[in-house]
Amino acid sequence: MSILANKDTRVVIQGGAAGLNAARRMAEFCYMIKRPLNVEAFVYPPDAGKTNEVPYGNGLLTVPVYKTVGEATAHHPQINTSLVYIGADRACAAGMEALNDPKIQVVSMITEGVPEKDAKLLARHATKLGKIFNGPSSIGVISAGECRLGVIGGAFDNLVACKLYREGSFGVITKSGGLSNEIIWICSQFADGITTAIGIGGDAYPGTDYVTYLEMFEQDPQTKAVVIVGEMGGELEERAAEWYGAKKRRIKLLAVVSGFCQESLPKGMKFGHAGAKEGMKGEGSARSKADAFKKAGATVPETFGALGPAIKATYEELVKSGLVRPIPDLSPEDLPKLPKTVEEGMKTGEVMVAPLIKTTISDDRGDEPCYDGYPASELINKGYEIPHVIGLLWDKRLISKQEAEIIKRIMMLSADHGPCVSGALGTIIAACAGIGMSQSVAAGLIMIGPRFGGAVTDAGRWFKHAVDNKMSVDDFLAYMKKTVGPVPGIGHRVKSVRNPDKRVKELVGYVKGLGIKTPHLDFALEVEKVTSSKKENLILNVDGTMAAVLVDLGFPVDSLNGFFILSRTIGLIGHWVDQKRQDSRLIRLFDYLVNYAAPKRREVPPLK
Amino acid sequence: MAKVLEGPGMGLMKKWGIVVPNFVVISSADELGKLGDAHDWLKKSTLVVKAHEALGSRFKLGLVKVGLDLQGAQAAAKEMLGRQVGSITVSQVIVSEMVPHTEEYYVAVKSTREGAEILLANCGGIEVESNWDRVKKLAVEVGDTPSPGALERLAKEAGFSSELAPKVADFAGKLFACFDSEDAQYLEVNPMVVPASDGQLVALDAVTLLDADARFRHPDWDFPFAAEFGRAYTKHELEVMAVDSKIKGSVKFIEIPGGDTAMLPAGGGASVYYSDAVVARGGRLANYAEYSGDPPDWAVEVLTEKVCSLPRIKHIIVGGAIANFTDVKKTFGGIIAGFRKAKGEGKLNGVQIWVRRGGPREKEGLEAMRALRDEGFDIHVFDRHTPLTDIVDMALQKK
Repeated sequence: MSILANKDTRVVIQGGAAGLNAARRMAEFCYMIKRPLNVEAFVYPPDAGKTNEVPYGNGLLTVPVYKTVGEATAHHPQINTSLVYIGADRACAAGMEALNDPKIQVVSMITEGVPEKDAKLLARHATKLGKIFNGPSSIGVISAGECRLGVIGGAFDNLVACKLYREGSFGVITKSGGLSNEIIWICSQFADGITTAIGIGGDAYPGTDYVTYLEMFEQDPQTKAVVIVGEMGGELEERAAEWYGAKKRRIKLLAVVSGFCQESLPKGMKFGHAGAKEGMKGEGSARSKADAFKKAGATVPETFGALGPAIKATYEELVKSGLVRPIPDLSPEDLPKLPKTVEEGMKTGEVMVAPLIKTTISDDRGDEPCYDGYPASELINKGYEIPHVIGLLWDKRLISKQEAEIIKRIMMLSADHGPCVSGALGTIIAACAGIGMSQSVAAGLIMIGPRFGGAVTDAGRWFKHAVDNKMSVDDFLAYMKKTVGPVPGIGHRVKSVRNPDKRVKELVGYVKGLGIKTPHLDFALEVEKVTSSKKENLILNVDGTMAAVLVDLGFPVDSLNGFFILSRTIGLIGHWVDQKRQDSRLIRLFDYLVNYAAPKRREVPPLK
Repeated sequence: MAKVLEGPGMGLMKKWGIVVPNFVVISSADELGKLGDAHDWLKKSTLVVKAHEALGSRFKLGLVKVGLDLQGAQAAAKEMLGRQVGSITVSQVIVSEMVPHTEEYYVAVKSTREGAEILLANCGGIEVESNWDRVKKLAVEVGDTPSPGALERLAKEAGFSSELAPKVADFAGKLFACFDSEDAQYLEVNPMVVPASDGQLVALDAVTLLDADARFRHPDWDFPFAAEFGRAYTKHELEVMAVDSKIKGSVKFIEIPGGDTAMLPAGGGASVYYSDAVVARGGRLANYAEYSGDPPDWAVEVLTEKVCSLPRIKHIIVGGAIANFTDVKKTFGGIIAGFRKAKGEGKLNGVQIWVRRGGPREKEGLEAMRALRDEGFDIHVFDRHTPLTDIVDMALQKK
């Protein structure tokens, strides 16, 4: 048995992210006690019509969000309790809305910093309607084995450690959220645990006071004793003591009160909860409260630390008198467990996962990325540059200074080639249509293929084939003609023997001047001699030159197009930024640039 | 509860139709000279000058001067402004007209659980303190308004003549309207007087406590709240308050000079029990502190730095109950960073640190704290199995 929250409690949560978080905690509790989730709906106007996802066991539950409490209770007529997680400025209205709903009997407000007047208005309204208004600033309510409202009780492991999966004999009422959890723990270690624990909130005027709950505990046969954790300020503890002392009570009462330090502090120095304020005439001091409890016959330990032994003594007394029968503890393997997430399971070595992808080049799991094992910052600090990073990520090796210099020159030569080529034009048209950078640059990159910039890989592949197989130029050209077609890397749209490509000359001159072995470049140049003698524009083009040099450096054939794509991206970004800077207008072709070769206008025949 | 100084307090009462003496709040004596040209009453009335600061016993301190003309008031203001009383510098004075009167009365509105209580006495000043039985009370439930008839009956019950009773009732009604509409927690007018010049009741002095939580619906509260300690907030206190106003959850810090046991506990409830335990074991608190509601780690770090900066401390109590949702690892991360910084600055020499905590990720958090031993910290770490305040007993060696 329990009070306030039980197996029949069905909840609507008024609020956004904080409310959803509470629902997730509540779902953990429901799962622990093997009962369905008790949160039936959310009310949060900004998200009305959506659904919230609440993990339950190893699955996900979907809980609807409504605009009003009325809609929620209309769709879920079992709802009888509302938890309010709405901000302080709207909390009063939200609480009133819930109280005014005929289906709702209990409203617990978690919101902190609610104006006192609002709290009083809510309390008065609830009393008038014969309902319960708990809070504001309440951590929640928990009935062991039955129901959890809010985040009270903490993480799942703590719920289990505190034996909250089954009822005990102690009721708990506290103002402080953290201490409610502490007392629940103490009751589980020094006694048989709790029936219900209630956080009434630390504000000056809690909506429902100790007395109301003491009366309810008195009527709950399972509850044999109640622990109150009080604070100086106000007179709620005095009223509780008065209630307890008024006549013989079935329940035993234990109480501690905080605020004794106040006696030795400079006058006027106040701290703790909003409600922890001593009155102007010394009323509401910790001492007067503790004395009131003692006078009423309650057990009042001298310090908080002495509370555990006091609870233990009370429990042993209850056992001795036969009112309580000790509950054997569950063996560790029978304790409720929350399904582990994959991450948790892997950490403890219980789960093996077949990876979805495999990488051999980079790792982001530390405090910085590592490229092929080398930390990026260390590469920077030791003088490495972009070409080295390319070497690591494209070919998994640290290239030499000389190789890096060649790559740098290749990139500089092919970074851009003016606005007219397919790639730049694609980007410019997109930029003028108001398209964003990544899409516009992609529009340009899409052009890279067999006829524009994309011949590097193929050129490299066939030059390599020829050199690997020790082909002569003539054999190679015959082979290509028979099985492939035009030789990739040979030929240019505008450049020719008489109008050579300066980029090719520059690159070939530099590489040859280094005195390194370049069998592929040498072969390509031999090929060019033959082809250009047949036709003037069949020269070794920039793709072919790059390809031959890069194969000589040892880069894998499949990476070769990457050098052009990477380099030209620099230019394409430039073209996009350039158009953006000019705020260019939308462009289209003029019709005189089109040869309209479509059939002349004619009549559409009847549809058959 | 937030205290409001006399000037803005009187302003709020005036807003609700209560007659208050003419007054100005100034921060320089020259300003008063100029105001004299604008306000006739400053030249014509007998004046009173009071330091406009949250200070008790102003009369004894010579910070109240009465019976002055404008020149005298200027001289008094000049003398008071800039005076240092403890940690407070007098930066403003309030100059108001003296209202000659014979009788003094008392009226107040006090917050109660059910709503409010109107308190009325036909004696005032300090006399009311010793004649508390003459104070008559009328309870008003929240949401209700006292009827003029009920207020008049209260006035008569308090011994006001049938001639004065309706006026007193009217005054009390306005004070209640001010209380109710301005989210006040306590309003006191003492004394309320009948000036010799006419028969209209005037509020001569006011105590105003407002509900700071209601600030969001009072855009015209353009005044700061005064420190309630009878002293100004210290630099470190103000720094922590500034952090507190920016974060989810909260951090709080108040210095108590002369103590040797520093507090760095979690939770508004547990932190007071920790303070109680220190006092109960004969320790001397060096501060009050608290972090709660799962604050960000950097906020806890700032708080930790302030705690470590307290002079001549011997112990730091990093206590806490078993948290519901405050992430122990994260908040301890902030504390550890603060400790390291303090140690780097040469603080924490010979300081013992005592830790007890539970809650989400408690294992990881406590483990990280324990590891500080290897860095040379004198730290003692306990988990949920050690009762809440036992670390205080151990620190102060009574256990």
